[in-house]
Amino acid sequence: MLQVFEARLFELVTGEIGSELVAGRIVMAISFREEVLEHSWYAIEWWCQRRIFIGNCYVVSLAMKIRRFPEVRSVELKWKPHFADFNLVPDGWGGYFYPWICEMARVYPLLEEIKLKRMVVTDECLELISKSFKNFKVLVLSSCEGFSTDGLAAIAANCRHCCMLFASWNLRELDLRESEVEDLSGHWLSHFPDSCTSLQSLNMSCLASEVNFSALQRLIARSPNLKTLRLNRAVPLEKLSTLLHRAPQLVELGTGAYSAEIRPNVYSNLAEAFSRCKELMGLSGFWDVVPSYLPAIYSVCSRLTSLNLSYATIQSPDVTKIVTQCPNLQSLSVLDYIEDAGLHALSLSCKDLRELRVFPSDPFVADANVSLTEQGLVAVSEGCLKLQSVLYFCRQMSNAALTTIAKNRPNLNCFRLCILEPRAPDYLTLEPLDNGFGAIVDHCKQLQRLSLSGLLTDLVFEYIGNRAKKLEMLSIAFAGDSDMGLHHVLSGCDSLRKLEIRDCPFGDKALLDNVSKLETMRSLWMSSCSVSLGACKRLSQKMPRLNVEVIDEQGDLDSRSDNSPVEKLYVYRTVAGPRLDMPSFIRNMDQNPTCRRYSLEKLFSE
Amino acid sequence: MDVTLGLLPDSPAGDDGGGVPSGVSTTVKSILTKEDNNKNNMVMCSEVSSSYPVGDQHLGDLELGLGLSIGGGGGGGGLKGKVVAGGGWSQYARILTAKDFKQNSCSSSSCSVSIPNSATSGFKRSATDSVSPTNGNSVVGWPPVSKAHRMPSLANENKSPTGNRISVTEQNKSKNRTAVINDYSNEKARISDKKYHSVKVNMDGSLIGRKVDLNAHTSYEMLAQTLEEMFFRRRSSTEAAKSSRLLDGTSEFVLTYEDKDGDCMLVGDVPWQMFLSSVKRLRIMKNSESNELAPRFQENNERRRTDVV
Repeated sequence: MLQVFEARLFELVTGEIGSELVAGRIVMAISFREEVLEHSWYAIEWWCQRRIFIGNCYVVSLAMKIRRFPEVRSVELKWKPHFADFNLVPDGWGGYFYPWICEMARVYPLLEEIKLKRMVVTDECLELISKSFKNFKVLVLSSCEGFSTDGLAAIAANCRHCCMLFASWNLRELDLRESEVEDLSGHWLSHFPDSCTSLQSLNMSCLASEVNFSALQRLIARSPNLKTLRLNRAVPLEKLSTLLHRAPQLVELGTGAYSAEIRPNVYSNLAEAFSRCKELMGLSGFWDVVPSYLPAIYSVCSRLTSLNLSYATIQSPDVTKIVTQCPNLQSLSVLDYIEDAGLHALSLSCKDLRELRVFPSDPFVADANVSLTEQGLVAVSEGCLKLQSVLYFCRQMSNAALTTIAKNRPNLNCFRLCILEPRAPDYLTLEPLDNGFGAIVDHCKQLQRLSLSGLLTDLVFEYIGNRAKKLEMLSIAFAGDSDMGLHHVLSGCDSLRKLEIRDCPFGDKALLDNVSKLETMRSLWMSSCSVSLGACKRLSQKMPRLNVEVIDEQGDLDSRSDNSPVEKLYVYRTVAGPRLDMPSFIRNMDQNPTCRRYSLEKLFSE
Repeated sequence: MDVTLGLLPDSPAGDDGGGVPSGVSTTVKSILTKEDNNKNNMVMCSEVSSSYPVGDQHLGDLELGLGLSIGGGGGGGGLKGKVVAGGGWSQYARILTAKDFKQNSCSSSSCSVSIPNSATSGFKRSATDSVSPTNGNSVVGWPPVSKAHRMPSLANENKSPTGNRISVTEQNKSKNRTAVINDYSNEKARISDKKYHSVKVNMDGSLIGRKVDLNAHTSYEMLAQTLEEMFFRRRSSTEAAKSSRLLDGTSEFVLTYEDKDGDCMLVGDVPWQMFLSSVKRLRIMKNSESNELAPRFQENNERRRTDVV
């Protein structure tokens, strides 16, 4: 019994580190202490006394865990379900960082790193961070929200507080990575004191307002270890060369807006500045590109391993010209402006490509605005032998193309296809795309992540259940005919950790027939399916170690009949019982929450 | 700006049809279009769920789609607020047909739907605002484009080709969707206006605030309707009737906002565009607290004006 729990918890703890492919992200090593393994099941979540990773921050109650390890150096927390990125999780759902930081400030004096994903972080949290940890080095806020530039000013300034006691300030990394920040002004950057020289990584690309340029320039000039700099859009292109001159050691650069009036001296300064950056391997940014300035980066192209042009609204010839000069490219993000022709050129030039992401330039239009079809992806699958990870938005797909891709690239570990039209069939045969995706899971035996789209029947889920044994995360939308689809997945996918489903005719029977599976998974999200309130209650009764949360913004949850369907359902395993910060539109289906709060003793008496 | 409504269904054959096909019981909520002179086009993008032989769909080969475009020239449908980064899904409006109801044995309330207004990116996370299938419904969160990626065409609206642009395909030219950047400094202001401009809304007596995208609305009336649906929808019908009119003072609540200077102001006094540029957040205030507001509220209110400051 204990071993089963250990295995599951270890998996709970260690999952998801690699799921978001971000250039330069370092996967942390895991070390275990034997005595931790022996005893408590939730103590296993410390994967050493120094690093804490909680893949779902409600799994363990704050009170239960915070007290234990004063030596903790690094904390990583994730909160909202992935579908929160697409507005499916209502505001107020939960995941507030404040209670955590209050406790951590008290008991983790040596804390150096905080990494949060999809959490609500307020300015008060940031102020607490800035005042509480004398060795604080790394702050990464990925897709977070709730804070403003005032909070950032506190982070920037905290060394003033520290510097009275210590020789130099320690902040190494401030990475705001796609968070939503209330941008009150750009002055926060000026709060970095002159004594701060330790900065290695600064990512402020999500901010809108202009920062004080001379403060930025000085900060960069006194940060000899700065390796990653991602500017925001407001940093003008004319000034980029000034910054680059002060940071020729940069490994990753995110430009600001890549546009300026056409002036020869601006261009030549820029080109010369880029040419001095001999370590540069990753480029991003590129908002508002003026194509005439693109050749300025040609001198670094041969070294580039990572290129993110997904904000660059440049046409196929311009994109193609760049990518074909990057023979060492491993990761490319681009808009569908690249078109099939550009992808074909990519397949011939970039033989080292591991990851491709193609985003839609105009996802809301039914007619194609660009000439990008399934053929582009087929070409890349043929030419790029190391291709492992695909995210591809397109408007048409066929079973034949999917089968070709699968046969070409059995080494795929992440395949996310989004055909923009829900339930779009094979455009050649008008059949469902079951066989195509079936080929994917059949050939790509190491597939860990899969997102489905297009017209799909229960058959595809049968294929997935039978074949996708390494699959850990599955995203389904507008697919399937009946409960059997869900049943195939839950009963067949041995490695499944995260399942997110929307708008599928999956209902009670599949869920209730597979309850024990849910405890082996990190989470299940179902929205706009056919699950009834009564089934949720029954699920909760059967599985006390699961939090079964019903989200319903219509209100009146308490007066609904058991037959009524739920809007959204989020199920995750926990040892902490129902969480205490649920808003009114969420109900935990646990009938007796106080009895369910597990103590260690009860757990091991079973 | 004027608003007109329209709905354009497609037949399975793909040609534009006339009215709603028989057998489709849908009631379309008003769909907004904006005048062309704002370079905003409401596009009825109609999706055809083609006649594939799945299940026994007697009817459902027809889907009506609509999208709200707030930028990009020519035919851009749907809201350009967010771009994809995830496993894939974003926003367009779609009328549910019988096929949808058949597939989901659930009632409409569990389908992710929202009023067409919320097809605009601004209704961040007010995921299912209204739900009856007889209203116009839109699909929240599809295609799955996360807010991290702004729509390039949104950023490049009002652009025109310049001489230094490299040639583009004819298709793109004709749709005027080429990405060319004018002087960025001009654009910056426009971009920040045209992106979803969401502000917080708090109501007295309610702990949980909401957010609303002001750029998804074109008038005070629209905004008030949205807020009424957000905050008052849960009440019984009698109460709803009583407290429904936020703007004209017949409600027990009053709609106010905090402006750039931090002052609490009554909504509705200044022109809509001016309001947009100065509003920071909204507050739905109980009428008893608004004693110092305009006399028109006092006329309809039983409470008498006091000398309270």
